[in-house]
Order: sequence, then structure tokens, then C-alpha cells
Amino acid sequence: MTAALIEARGLLARYGPSLALDGLDASIPAGDLVAVLGENGSGKSSFLKVLARVLPATGGELTFDGRPLAETPRRATARRIAYVPQSVDLVFPIRCLDLVLQGRAPHGNGFVAETPGDRRRALEAMRACDVEGLADRDAKALSGGERRRVFLARALAQEAEVWLLDEPTAGLDPRHRLEFLETLWRAHQDRRTTVLIVTHEIGLAASLATSVLLLKAGRTIARGARTDVLTAENLGRAFGTPFERRGGRFEVRSEVLPSSTSEP
Amino acid sequence: MKALSRGPALAAGALLLAAVLAIAFSVGGVHLSLADLAAGTGEAGQTARMLAALRLPRVLLAALVGACLALAGAALQALLKNPLADPFLLGTSGGAAVGAACAALVGASPLVSPAFAFVGATAASLGVAALARRGGRLDLERLLLAGLIANAFFSALLLAAFSIASGEASRTMLFWMMGSLSDATPGKVAALGPYVLAGLAVLLGAAPRLNLFAVGEESAAALGVDTERTKRVVFLAASLLTGAAVAFAGVIGFVGLLVPHGVRAVAGNDQRTLLPLSALAGAALLVAADAVSRAALAPAELPIGAITAALGAPLFAWLLLRTP
Amino acid sequence: MIRHGAKGLLLAVGLLFACREPGPADPAVGGPRRIVALAPNLTEIVFALGAGDRLVGVSEYSDHPEAARLIPRVGGLEVDPEKVAALHPDLVLAIAEGNAQGTVRALEAAGLPVTVTPSGSLDAVLESIRLVAARLGRPEEGRRLVAELERRRAAVRARVAGRRRPRALLMVWPDPPQAAGGQTFLNDVLTEAGAENLVADRRGWPVLSKEYVATAPVELLVIPDSVEARAAWDTAFASGTLSRGPVARARRVQLDEAALTRPGPRVFDMLEKLAEATR
Repeated sequence: MTAALIEARGLLARYGPSLALDGLDASIPAGDLVAVLGENGSGKSSFLKVLARVLPATGGELTFDGRPLAETPRRATARRIAYVPQSVDLVFPIRCLDLVLQGRAPHGNGFVAETPGDRRRALEAMRACDVEGLADRDAKALSGGERRRVFLARALAQEAEVWLLDEPTAGLDPRHRLEFLETLWRAHQDRRTTVLIVTHEIGLAASLATSVLLLKAGRTIARGARTDVLTAENLGRAFGTPFERRGGRFEVRSEVLPSSTSEP
Repeated sequence: MKALSRGPALAAGALLLAAVLAIAFSVGGVHLSLADLAAGTGEAGQTARMLAALRLPRVLLAALVGACLALAGAALQALLKNPLADPFLLGTSGGAAVGAACAALVGASPLVSPAFAFVGATAASLGVAALARRGGRLDLERLLLAGLIANAFFSALLLAAFSIASGEASRTMLFWMMGSLSDATPGKVAALGPYVLAGLAVLLGAAPRLNLFAVGEESAAALGVDTERTKRVVFLAASLLTGAAVAFAGVIGFVGLLVPHGVRAVAGNDQRTLLPLSALAGAALLVAADAVSRAALAPAELPIGAITAALGAPLFAWLLLRTP
Repeated sequence: MIRHGAKGLLLAVGLLFACREPGPADPAVGGPRRIVALAPNLTEIVFALGAGDRLVGVSEYSDHPEAARLIPRVGGLEVDPEKVAALHPDLVLAIAEGNAQGTVRALEAAGLPVTVTPSGSLDAVLESIRLVAARLGRPEEGRRLVAELERRRAAVRARVAGRRRPRALLMVWPDPPQAAGGQTFLNDVLTEAGAENLVADRRGWPVLSKEYVATAPVELLVIPDSVEARAAWDTAFASGTLSRGPVARARRVQLDEAALTRPGPRVFDMLEKLAEATR
């Protein structure tokens, strides 16, 4: 049995005055595509932020590749863990290529990424995400879907073995959502990276993930293989509303709404 | 997206500064004939030498102060991810002005004024930073608000001090609050020089990290930057630069706000170019403004703060109208 | 018939307005007995007209003549209108340049009789004396004083006529350097005393650049002398704004500050003294 790449035990973290993580447990093997599932405020984004070294843990254990994460130098983890935030407020104009090159910064000397090798890797990453044509454009001027893919390209350029994606399909229309997921899937398959996707879309978890981490109120209520975790009972507990299985899909049970509704 | 690359941009900036320095040295109010200076004979030569001795420190001080303010402005705009950030937003100008006002009220020698002003500026920025601290972190949003509050508070103090000040003290205070380079001495130039160099060195060191801040503090942290340390260093450097500038030349607004804007439009947002180029452009701008302040109402002088505001406000309005 | 009536009505209305116009105090009563002077030169003028005993309130800097020091103060550059009103004056004297116009209007609105005296030239000084004298009900004293001062002025003019006019600056403060420009009474003093004011083309009280002061072709420098300001002037001459260039070498005339800078009768003493120096 291979040791888990990421191991969390009783993880605690605060976000402002409130307790974001209240004893989270997780055991993520390398190469897994994990869906981190839960309602709003369940701590899923916070877990990613702790992994990305954006939010400090206040208690519990968290190891990455056998070593406590907090004791590893930040630059070292940044070379191996890439974070794609949910939303980014771009205030100043920035060229897409420069944005993707930022992914090379942890590898560069003093956070400078200017070598031809860096440039090559950045363009390759953009190609893999199908945004190579946007290299010279201002990232501010892109559509939501295009920008998400550019940020994914940044994570690829980082050559990290772990990708943390926070609600990557939120707000995307069906076509762009599909494009993004296909790009992500292909990249994941090619590079055999470990991917953690925070989402509340059960369908996404059901179709893409190998394992699922189900959170509620900052704690893990279920984890493991997708088929084991995704049950109507678990989902009902996680989301605080009854679920039922209908034709291979999990749907929220409603007495009020007419006919069967699509996934939450 | 087009942007000048670093080498040519900095070279152009340096050339511009050199040209402006040469012109401002010669013109503005009383004309300094370079020919007389070179020839050096007779009364004309003597007058020219004396005038040069008066004007050279002034022009150099203008350049250094302009560099300080523009550099601080550029750094803060990058750190706060806010194109409207201005070094005076953080309470440093208010603190410095109150410091100088205390010196004037107490009747201290004008030589000590810069020290008072500097202490005031530093105390103000430390106070503002303390106010903005939340859970051990420097909260950038609170920083802006705390700075606003600090400035409002200091304005009140200043107005009160101004109303009880006697003729001489109030005159000094007024000139000080409007910015004045007329007390330039070689000593001041020598004292301010190291600040500019040190500030530039520190900020250039932080420049790649600041570049990562452009996409947000979280993004920078995820890429391995020690964000708390970077924030502290940049904030401190910007505060010291601003405090020093205000201590030696009074409150001169708009330079820290507008110069980085203009430079960004021409040379892009890479801090490794933006920071030094802003310093050069800020220096050139203030040297030019000083020449105008000497020339406009000769032999009287326009306060330099009035000129930067008169130039700055319409320019800023134009910038606002340009952006979609 | 109607025309007669209309004429009569017009006459009556005209008389009514004539009576309402503020004019010289009724000689039968002897003029105002409770006077407040809002500037030190006005205090001096009232005393010079022999009515000093009628002052009930004066501005802070009123120290001439000695008797003025005993009169209650109503404020300096900033006058407290309530203090003034509390003295129940029947005449308030103010100067156009120097007293806050807002204060003056506040006092007028409160119903106090305010007289604002002109400024900006030596003629205005004489006009002020005439005006104050009229308001005090002592027009004769006013005429006498003005005639005396005019005589002395004319004598000075005669004395300096035909003389070469040295280039001069009359500075009121050393650092930042401030001088008397055109359209000021001190400009008149300087000019009529036989000098040429280098900054006559700048109106008011311009603050000069250090460079200008260091390079201007000053032959005569006139400065006010006072105990409080001596240190500032000394520093300026030793190492400051007046330590280099022609101004450092220029002939220096120090005149008593109170007498020089207050637009009152003593200015004419200064005029005479200065005329000696321009020889």
C-alpha cells in the first residue's frame, strides 16, 4: 500500500473569527482525482487554502509526502503544489503569457522566471489548455472560461504534482464548462497529477473523481472511493436535505417542485 | 499588449531626467547663464557662481524628492493592488506635517524641522500599520481605511495648530503644508540621497514578489511568497521614502499617484521596470515643476504643491475618462 | 395740484433718506464716546486726534502711545465680535486690509456703527485720518493734522527731487523673504523718500524667491526693527537669505517696526528719516 501523498488528521484552521476547519481528516494518494464536496461553509475552500499555504493551520496534522507541510519551506511546496483560486480580481492589465509565466516563479531565482526554458514550458502549458493564441492578450479582457483555462495553464507551467482547483466550473456556461473539464481531464491523464477539485456539483464528482472527500462544518463525514462515498444517505447528511437516487443520478428530493429537477 | 522593454525604457528615463535637470538648472525666475558660469570672470561670473550654488542643491533636492514620492507610490500601488494608492494615503503626510508643526510651534530651529517631520511620519505609518493588523496579519484593506482615518485626524490637529500659531510659525507651517524646495541645502541633498538609494535597492529586491502580488495576495502566497514579510518590507520602505521626502520638502501631492500611472501606461506593469522608471520620471517631473514654480510668478514663488496639484488633477481626470 | 403734492411728497421722502444716512455725529452731543479700534494704527490715529480717552477697546498690538496699553483688548488678527459688542461701542473703526471682512460684516449685522478706513497708499493714510476725524466729530483736528502731514510730505518731495534714486527693497520679513510691493503704503514711503522700489510691479506683499533676493541689484535695504524679530534678521544677514549678493552689501536702514508698518501719522516720521538715507 502506497503512503498517501497528502495526509491530514484533525486539521484545524481559522478564517477570520470563525473556525473554518474543525478536525478535518483526509488521506489522498498520489495520482488521485479527488472531489472535495460539501455545502457552502463546509470548509472545502479552506482546506485547499491550507494546502496551498495561503491559510495557516492552527492545529492538527498535515503532511505532504511524509513531511509536515508547515515545516517545509514555502518555495519548496510551491514547486510541487499549484493553486487555482476560484476568482481573481485583476486590477492592472497583464499579458496572458506573463500570467502563465508566474507559474514558473517558484522555480526561478528570486522568483524571476525569464529563461528560455521557462518561456517554452509556459507556451507548452498554454497549448495544452488551448489558450496559446491568447498569449499576447490582456488577461483582464478575457471571458470567464478563457481566463480559467489560462490559470490552469499557469498551474501546468508550475510543473506541480498536485493541483488544487477551487470551484473551477462555477459560473461557466455548459460549453465552457465542458471545454474546461475536457482540458483538465486530458492534462491530468497526461501528467498523472494529483488533483483536488472543490465543488458542490455532485454530478461532476460522480463523473470525474476517483475518490471523494465529503465535508460538513469543517469536518470529514465521509471519504474514500467515489462509489463508497456517494450515497443518498451521505449526501443527505452533508447537504442537510434529503437526496434520492434516480436513474443513476443523485437528486434532491422535493415535495414542492414539479417533476424531477436537474442536479443541484 | 505593448510595453517597452527594460533597457531602452530606463535609458530613455535617464536621458529625460538629465535633459530636464540641465534646463531647470538654467531657467526659472532668475536666469543662470551657463556661459557666465563657465567663463567665471568678473561680477557676472561671481553672480553666476553664487546663483549656481543656490540652485544646484535645489534642483537636486527636487529630483530626489520626486524620486522618493514616485517610488513609494509605485510600490504601494503594486502592494495594495490599487491604482489609486498614493503614499499620502497611509497617513505619512499628515504625521509629517504634524511633526513639523510641532517643531514650528515649539520654536525649534528650522534645521531640526526635518527630524521632527520624519519622526511624525514614521510614528504615523507605524500607528496605521498597527490599526490595520488583524490576527497577526497586515490587512491591506484595513490599511487604506486606517490611513484615511489617520489623515483626517492629523488634518484636524494641523488646523488647530495653525489657528493658534503666531505670525512666523504659521507662515512656516503654511509653506510647509504646501510644499517648498526653497530651503534646499547641500546638506539636505546629502541626507536624502541615501534614502532614495536604499529604498530603490530594497524595492528592486522585492520587485519579483510584488509582480506576483498583481494577481492577489493569495495567489502570491500559493506561489511560495512569504506575503507577510513582503508586505512589511514594502510598506516600511514606502513609509520611509515618503517620510523622508515630506521631511525635506513638505507635502507635495499627486506625484506618488500619477507618475506610476503614466509609467505603467508606457512601460507595462513589471515592477522591475516600473519601480526604477517611476523614480526617474518622478524626479524629472518634480524638477520641471520646481522650475515652473520659480518662473511663473518671478520674483515670487508659487508653492510647488500647488503646481503638482494644478497639473495632476486635470491629468488624472483625463486618465479616468480614457479608461473604458 | 397733484404736482405740488407729488413734489412735497418727494421732498419729504428725500429728507427722510437724508436723515437716515450715516453722517458725522451730531456736534451737539460731541460725537461717539465709546470707540473700539480694531487695528493699532487706528488707535494711534484716534489718540493723535485728541480723542484717546474715548477708546473703550483696542486691538492687541496697540502699544502707542503709552496710554493705549491700558485700554482693554478685543483681539489681534482675529477679532472677537462678542467682545466688541459687549463693550457697547457707538463707533467701531476697522481697516480694509487687515481686519477680517467677515468680522466686520458680523458687527455691522449686529447693528453696530462700523467705519472701514481705506488702505493701500499714503493718500489712503491721510484719507483714513480725515474719515476718522469726521466720525469722531472732530473735523477741525483732522484737517489740521492732515495739513501738517501734507506739509511734511511735500517738504520731503522737494528735498529728494532731482536726486538719483537708489534701487531699493523694503522687506518686512527675512525668511521667507517678503517685501512691500506696489499699491501698498510702504511702496509710497519708499518711493517718495527718493528710492526706486525694485518690486513695485508686484502688487501687495510678495514673498520673494531666495534666488531673486541674492541676485537683485539692491543698493538700499529698508527693514523694520523690533526686539522680537531681531534674531531672525541677524540670522538672515549672517548666513541666510540676506547673506549673499548685492543685498548683503547694500546700505541698510533700520526703522522702528511699529512706526513703519502701521499706516498712521508716525509713518511720516519714517518718511523723513528714510529721505535722509537716500541721499
